[in-house]
Amino acid sequence: MRRITPALLALAALALVPLASPSGYLLHMLIVVFLYVILAAGLDLVMGYCGQYSFAQGAFYGIGAYTAAILHRDLGLDFWQTLPLGVLSAGAFGLLLGIPSLRLSGHFLSITTIAFQTIIYLLLTQWTSFTGGQYGLPVPKVGTLSLFGHELFRIEKVREFYFLALAVMAVALLVAWRLATSRIGREWRAIHDDELVARAIGISVTRDKLVAFVASAALAGAAGVLVAYYLEGVSPTDFSIWTSATVVAMVIVGGRGTIFGPAAGAIVFTLMPEVLRATADYKLIIFGVLMIVMVIFMPMGAAGLLRRERS
Amino acid sequence: MALLECVQLSRNFGGLVAVDKVDLAVEAGEIVGLIGPNGSGKSTLVNLITGVVPVTGGRIRFEGHDITALPSWRIARLGIARTFQLLRLFKSLSVLENVTLPLQPRMASGQAASAFGRGRAAEEDRAAVAKGRELLAFFGLVEFAERPPTALSIGQQRLVELVRAIIVGPKLFVLDEPAAGLSPPNVERLIDLVRRMRDEQGITILLVEHVMKVVRELCDRIVVLDYGVKIADGDPQAVTNDPRVVEAYLGGGREQPHARG
Amino acid sequence: MLTPDYILQLLVDGIVTGSVYVLIAAGLTLIFGILGIVNFAQGEFYMLGGYFGITAAVLLRLQMLETLVVGTLAVAVVGLLCERVIFRPLQGQDMTNSIIASFGLAVALQNAALLVFGPEPKILRTSWATVPIHVGGLFLTLQRAIIPVVAAALILIIHLVLRYTWTGRSLRAMSQHPTMAQLCGVDVGRTGLVTFVLGAALAGTAGVLMSSVFLVQPGIGSMIVLKAFTVVILGGMGNIYGAVAAGLLLGVVEAFTSGFLNNMMRDIVGFAIVILVLLLRPQGIFGRSVERA
Repeated sequence: MRRITPALLALAALALVPLASPSGYLLHMLIVVFLYVILAAGLDLVMGYCGQYSFAQGAFYGIGAYTAAILHRDLGLDFWQTLPLGVLSAGAFGLLLGIPSLRLSGHFLSITTIAFQTIIYLLLTQWTSFTGGQYGLPVPKVGTLSLFGHELFRIEKVREFYFLALAVMAVALLVAWRLATSRIGREWRAIHDDELVARAIGISVTRDKLVAFVASAALAGAAGVLVAYYLEGVSPTDFSIWTSATVVAMVIVGGRGTIFGPAAGAIVFTLMPEVLRATADYKLIIFGVLMIVMVIFMPMGAAGLLRRERS
Repeated sequence: MALLECVQLSRNFGGLVAVDKVDLAVEAGEIVGLIGPNGSGKSTLVNLITGVVPVTGGRIRFEGHDITALPSWRIARLGIARTFQLLRLFKSLSVLENVTLPLQPRMASGQAASAFGRGRAAEEDRAAVAKGRELLAFFGLVEFAERPPTALSIGQQRLVELVRAIIVGPKLFVLDEPAAGLSPPNVERLIDLVRRMRDEQGITILLVEHVMKVVRELCDRIVVLDYGVKIADGDPQAVTNDPRVVEAYLGGGREQPHARG
Repeated sequence: MLTPDYILQLLVDGIVTGSVYVLIAAGLTLIFGILGIVNFAQGEFYMLGGYFGITAAVLLRLQMLETLVVGTLAVAVVGLLCERVIFRPLQGQDMTNSIIASFGLAVALQNAALLVFGPEPKILRTSWATVPIHVGGLFLTLQRAIIPVVAAALILIIHLVLRYTWTGRSLRAMSQHPTMAQLCGVDVGRTGLVTFVLGAALAGTAGVLMSSVFLVQPGIGSMIVLKAFTVVILGGMGNIYGAVAAGLLLGVVEAFTSGFLNNMMRDIVGFAIVILVLLLRPQGIFGRSVERA
């Protein structure tokens, strides 16, 4: 409970940001942060809590985004229909990836998730007739939400999208937090600590691992649908192994198994290249170096440092 | 019909025979001790019964049902609980979370319901917490409920393991060297607790142990293994004086079973 | 299309590509098998080999063989620095940390190359690239033909070193039991360094060799390291000879896939195979039994 209050305050503060007439640029940065918070929180469920390494978060992000784009193109569905469908389709692929996880662990599992991520990426870039290949696909704006013919709200400007993104992130964090602190969260941690004993006391390890993969993929899918409508298009480069690796770094550096640690990691890693923007050409070099430095000096992540200081 | 029946149970590891056609029966309400020199196959036998290691020969029956090929989690849910030789508590969970975890698979309400705090699930969760605290109090550990297991001494952690095992009300409880590393007062307490588990909660006990004091005071019957083979099965007095048993312990220069344990 | 000549051509092309995979994967599997490090920057060592090779040949006006040596040495030096500064401190930690660190290294190296060498693709123009070899109906340039030759020579040297030298025995000991090796007098620190440098150098050599065959750009490391991982898994992690077999196999399978199906499947086929192998036989086609979850 103690950790909820600062989170609620932060959300409230974020909701008030647009009222201070900030630049479009700041809103843009925050929207990107929200997207990565969702990705990182999702990954924390499967990697931090359940201990199953996954380098495929970028792929699920892409699956959500492309599902929205393709459903729009082929069936004319709008945001409010493609959002749940994108989540479901990403979740289904998460189930697919969860199956090898039942028999593999450690680096074998990591490599399998990397292979999965790469296959999805290759399909996105090469299957031009279906996915638009390197050029991707266009996606319209979110538009209006109408109920029984009455227009509830319209989302066209960045400011309006900001609230939508904030709302989706808040829901995603709530879902992740509730899962992590409930029965299945405890079972995940037990599986991570000692899978053999967890099985021996009656926990259904198979089902729990699959749920972890599905949940993390579904959350990534939600973020994917959002980004598709935000950028008004999808293209493969946003969903590559680099994206996955960055999300893994967010979880590790933020502190796995805490939900809010990875969220903080998301903030750091998203803002870092922007903060470094002044250094232009050196930006990504410094980014890479910082990643290395953080892993060497903070192997337990920021949350781990805090935990050590407290005890 | 015995509660647990092992019929010609065997386990081969490649060429090595760890358990060799062992017949073992445990009647409901008994406390049976399983002893034998190091390497005699006691732990393997226990692993076979609890489904941790696959059986290569023979059968196991529990309450009349054949459980030979069942995975460990199914056996757990049928009512057999066990402890491990090395402490295997979950470090990332608190003591209370550790002991209430086994109740979760048996709850009627679903996981999703629990995640979203729906009525019946929340009730079951609260009941589990209450039962966990009650048992921890029984063992004198309730003050540690919210701490991680690593904050407790080895002896206390062993007791937490016992709580975790009996919270589900198993019918058969297999204890793997519960007295190891316990100080004398804790050994006394352990003996008392195990006896009360049988007397008050009706749990049948299969006890693997080296500490002879525990075996002598608790067990109705003792079974002795040597090199995977059963060499004795009877009341404690008879078994400890059985020349074959003495030979097994003395033969490799090991401790005599009736020495001070 | 199904002529023996066509098939033979595909086979030869596959062996050439496969030899490149073998070199990079051998380095990767050495580093993993002996140091337990998953080096995602292996592709960047390959990329740097390409750039250093071009620089050596163009700026220093070196001949082919000298370019090969100089380029490889330059990458070896980079590998040395990386081992000391980055991977030494991470020894013994969670394996994921070395993956993250090597990702960071890959990003840094890629962008450093972009900064130093610029974004335009480069290629090394050598006479060897234009010398054709006709054998029956086969066609091959000399440049491509020497790739499997060099790869075979290097693997042979490594094999001899591993079997018959003290360093080689130290490496093998470390891969099997680091603590025991240390007790037997193996200088674990130095052996680790040698391993990593060797691994980097192998990738660098491949890069130099390929610098006159394919365009060199800062991003070429990304896809090839993934292919190298595929080879490492198929061959059994830590198994050099498995990597040789699997690398050649992958090269040939890719060539045939692209020749008979289409180019899109060419890249995917390797990854699909890897997932299948991981499901059915995680120790790889040639690996020893491994612990499963």
